Amino acid sequence: MYITEDSKVVVQGITGNQGKFHTQLMLEYGTNVIAGVTPKKGGQEVLGVPVFNTVQEAVNEYGVDTSIIFVPARFTYGAVLESLEAGVNMTCIITEGVPVIDMVRLVETAKTKKLHLIGPNTPGMLIPDKIKLGIMPGDMAHFGDVAVIAKSGTLSYEITKALGNADVGVSAYIGIGGDPVRGKTLTEAFDYYVKDQGTKVIVLIGEIGGDDEEKVAQYIKNQKVSKPVVAYIAGKSAPEGKRMGHAGAIISGNVGTAQGKIDALESVGGKVTETPWDIPEAVKTYL
Amino acid sequence: MEVYTIRLLEYESKEIFSDYNIPLADRLVIVKGEDIEEKINQFNFPAIIKSQIAVGSRKKRGLIKIAQTRDEALSMCTEFFSRKVGEYGVEAILIEGLADIKHEYYCSIALDSSGRRFVLIASAEGGIDIEEVAATRPEAIIKQNISLTEGLSEIAAKGVAEKLGFSGENLDLAIDLFMKLWCITTEKEAQLVEINPLVLTPSGLVAVDGKMTLDDNAAFRQELIVKLRKRKLTELEKTAQRVGFSFVELDGEIGILANGAGLTMALLDVLAQHGLAGMNFLDVGGGASKERVYEALKLIYTMNPKAVLINIYGGITRCDIVAEAILQTMKEFPNAPPMVIRLTGTREAEGVAILKNAGIDAYQDMMDAVGKLKEVMC
Repeated sequence: MYITEDSKVVVQGITGNQGKFHTQLMLEYGTNVIAGVTPKKGGQEVLGVPVFNTVQEAVNEYGVDTSIIFVPARFTYGAVLESLEAGVNMTCIITEGVPVIDMVRLVETAKTKKLHLIGPNTPGMLIPDKIKLGIMPGDMAHFGDVAVIAKSGTLSYEITKALGNADVGVSAYIGIGGDPVRGKTLTEAFDYYVKDQGTKVIVLIGEIGGDDEEKVAQYIKNQKVSKPVVAYIAGKSAPEGKRMGHAGAIISGNVGTAQGKIDALESVGGKVTETPWDIPEAVKTYL
Repeated sequence: MEVYTIRLLEYESKEIFSDYNIPLADRLVIVKGEDIEEKINQFNFPAIIKSQIAVGSRKKRGLIKIAQTRDEALSMCTEFFSRKVGEYGVEAILIEGLADIKHEYYCSIALDSSGRRFVLIASAEGGIDIEEVAATRPEAIIKQNISLTEGLSEIAAKGVAEKLGFSGENLDLAIDLFMKLWCITTEKEAQLVEINPLVLTPSGLVAVDGKMTLDDNAAFRQELIVKLRKRKLTELEKTAQRVGFSFVELDGEIGILANGAGLTMALLDVLAQHGLAGMNFLDVGGGASKERVYEALKLIYTMNPKAVLINIYGGITRCDIVAEAILQTMKEFPNAPPMVIRLTGTREAEGVAILKNAGIDAYQDMMDAVGKLKEVMC
């Protein structure tokens, strides 16, 4: 389970500007933020939320099971490791610019401990009307049965809001983050919502680069997924990107163009729309 | 829009290889501006003359040649320094002694980002056609996953070296080389360390070419990255990097300021569908400060766009801060080109009100803004 309405949330980096600002927005949304952590600032209160020195203390005191990270990139590795070692089920890394090698290590640790990481450089997760764990606008859409899974932040706000405007409800919104190495891959998040009983349609928001969308297409084919998938891929007009030497091509094959991703998803029955605003109509055909 | 990696030139990669005692041919580096004649007097010929330029296929472009004599080398170097490929010039020349090639191998350690791990990749069929080998005969490519927690074990390195056909003394050399590549990967925070070809000579293994990319995000603890990151960018792109947003110059005539890479790309796609072309990709980044938005707008103005489109969907970015930055810029640039603004998300009401008080309209819907932009451009 990723998060629920009852998740008990600790904010790591709650005394910083971003941490404090978004704690307030999460509290206003109704998220159960019950503790904050900033080393050496234990004993304080921020917006009425008690601050601890360590995640372990917050776990001992309140049984927190979910963490959201607002600490600077250079301290993120330590902060996330602390959350994993305290056994926190889901750690959501908002921070941008975390070194790749730190993320590879954290992903290895999370896998060993069977705990969940999401991000870095992610807007987080939202279950409309229930819980907001992140920095996305809270008023994009109401609760319903369409899951939105995105690589990109703002573009996914755009599309989720378009769903809301078209009166399509959302079962969950999840941003996997824009960095090369992520706690949850697009396929892992997709798999979660394929199995989620409350989700009838999955909206996938991708973009050029990498092979995440191709991997999802492969998964749909291998697992014979019958749940409808509607997608939008950004970057059709982008000039051809630079490639990372030969090894990148050897690992992932010649993939990563918008057209390649569109073809891959369409070949397994996905519906890929021309613009972001065509998504709601395409989704409605399945509801 | 790859913004996470910094590519090293061959001679820069080889300086690192040399620090790690990876065997290289005799070599001489001439940086642009140095006295070529004085430098090559120290070197024996014949030798191979390699342009150091940030483009691929150097051999095919005639940027790598063999010089039989010192005089020939001198004229080649002079010619190479005058060459340009697109926006790139030759930054340095690497001169190397010729290797006595018995066999060419491929080896690298690379980040497999979707697998979220590093992989040691090797092949007994090295040389420039390695991508074709990977595509047509994947069984000729050996891959060994590496756990960061455990590191590359000697047993795993030995396994790969044996599959390449090494035995005896050469087996030990290959294992040692792989272990060194792994040290470079973790210590320099590389996403790719590649040797192609790795050449077997009568005196052992020699890295004839070298390629590396480093993780830009690690700049805060890697001095080398800070030193290298400024090099490949245009002046405008350097400004963007200093202030902290991602920026790429494009061919159109509309200045673009947006937030989020995906949304910015989608915006450029939608403009293209309407026959409009962006002059740039500019993602002002998450949680942009007033100063960052102001600097971004100023940078766009220096490109003389016909119009400017601002598209902000605030999450961690606040619309009120963006609105204040827009006002500040407008005061300073009264003759700026027409601007179409779309503002929605976090602190939307406050942001729209700030602009309205100054007599400026802001759209909440992106398609309305695109429609308005079409009118302006007519």
